[in-house]
Amino acid sequence: MIAAELTAVTKRFGSVTALDRFTLVVREAEVLSLLGPNGAGKSTAIALLLGLRVPDSGAARLFGLDPRRTAARRSVGVAPQETAFPPTLRVAEVIEFVRCHYAWPLDASVLSERFGLERLLRRQLGGLSGGERRLVAVALAFAGRPRFVALDEPTAGLDGEARLRVWNAARAHVREGGTVLLTTHQLEEAEALAQRIVLLEAGAAVADGTVAEIKRAAGLTRVSFRAPPELILDGAVCDGERLRADVEHAGAFVGSLARRGVQLDELEVRPLTLEEALAARKAAR
Amino acid sequence: MTLVLAHARAMTVELARHPAYVVPTLAFPAVFFLFFASSASGNGPAVRMATFTGFAAIGVAFFQFGVGIAVERGSPWEAYVRTLPAGVGVRLAARLLSAAVFAAAAAAVVVAVAVALTPVSLTGPRCLALAVALVGGVAPFALLGVAIGYWAPPRGALPIANLLYLVLSYAGGLWFRPQRLPPFVEHVSPLLPTRALADVLAAAAVGAGPPWRPWAALAAFAALFAIAAVWGYRRDEGRRYR
Repeated sequence: MIAAELTAVTKRFGSVTALDRFTLVVREAEVLSLLGPNGAGKSTAIALLLGLRVPDSGAARLFGLDPRRTAARRSVGVAPQETAFPPTLRVAEVIEFVRCHYAWPLDASVLSERFGLERLLRRQLGGLSGGERRLVAVALAFAGRPRFVALDEPTAGLDGEARLRVWNAARAHVREGGTVLLTTHQLEEAEALAQRIVLLEAGAAVADGTVAEIKRAAGLTRVSFRAPPELILDGAVCDGERLRADVEHAGAFVGSLARRGVQLDELEVRPLTLEEALAARKAAR
Repeated sequence: MTLVLAHARAMTVELARHPAYVVPTLAFPAVFFLFFASSASGNGPAVRMATFTGFAAIGVAFFQFGVGIAVERGSPWEAYVRTLPAGVGVRLAARLLSAAVFAAAAAAVVVAVAVALTPVSLTGPRCLALAVALVGGVAPFALLGVAIGYWAPPRGALPIANLLYLVLSYAGGLWFRPQRLPPFVEHVSPLLPTRALADVLAAAAVGAGPPWRPWAALAAFAALFAIAAVWGYRRDEGRRYR
């Protein structure tokens, strides 16, 4: 079942094309990460999916409905990138305010436990730190227990512990059958959470697949070892005392070094991380 | 309906915790009443009390609608609230309800001050007539406030609302009997919506029947301001949903 869908949407702001015939399908019960640098069109894609903006051409659908309809938004929880609250409202009041919009909201105590908000509940939002406010904003996206949760850069400005809570909440949501769409420019976050990644650059998808698929598509393995300073290798990069090379066939590469009599001290052979794979992709183009 | 109450409650609680909004809103009209009107004699105090409840209530309409909408229009919180499953009607009805709470409170303070410090006595039927005149008479100003909210830029809304509020109140005769206004103001006065409001409130205060002419004028103004408000809302929506 498809939770949310953008079909060949184009969106321009003046002379800037934010999205260019972009198609995105978010299936139910998956975490999909929209990954890309600043200005790639991630937030615009979310705004179109939520009906906050309308595409110049193409269509946006939420559970088959026009996202501008109230009925469609009953299945959606959102954490926008920009967070601001009425400063005098208390955290518990805002949670209650959001919960009452949904038919089967998450229990307020479960929500505050998942996000570690217990000691903030009585505080006014204007008195919270930026990170605390951010955490509340992300928690609100889950408060209504909506089928579809959209998080726009949810962990920007959060400390490690809070970030872990957000990740765990997203995982719990998907375990319970929910769907999460997440934008981020942190590869680590996408790698930790997402079943599927759509890589967005300048308004168009340049890659779409599971984390493993995207890594495999790069087709490279990283070989590194402690090298004597005089050793120079084609295609290898000096990294402190070590040399490293991203190669297609690690076995053959290491074999050829061994035949040349190179000392392979502290040899390490491992697949690329997502970040490295994407950087290699970029370099290859 | 539950949603309207939830939104109205959030708005009211939010505003009520800002003393800088609450104290002037509640105290300002009553203080003006004491300055300008408490020395009147005969029917004077009752009529002044009635027109000052109008002054109090339209203040809320100007500031809570006009300035409130203009400021919130571009705020990230308002953008977030739009992603919640509630229609535009819910938000508007809640705003109305929340404004009614503050308007009623501000008007009640004027009445309390008038009863305590001036020779005004209130009977039940008079009170009811005044309340009806107040609710009906202030409605067009709520629409005018909404129109200001959607037309004025966020930084311009406060001075615009202030100017309109004070000038219209003065020239429409909410502070003095219209006969005491300078001659050139007296010429313009009958054309103003505040004058129609002053007339319906004064009639209610002295127990006269509802005067049809000012009521018709108020209805016409309501229609005019409603068009401006809806037009402004559409224009704003068009701008944001580009």
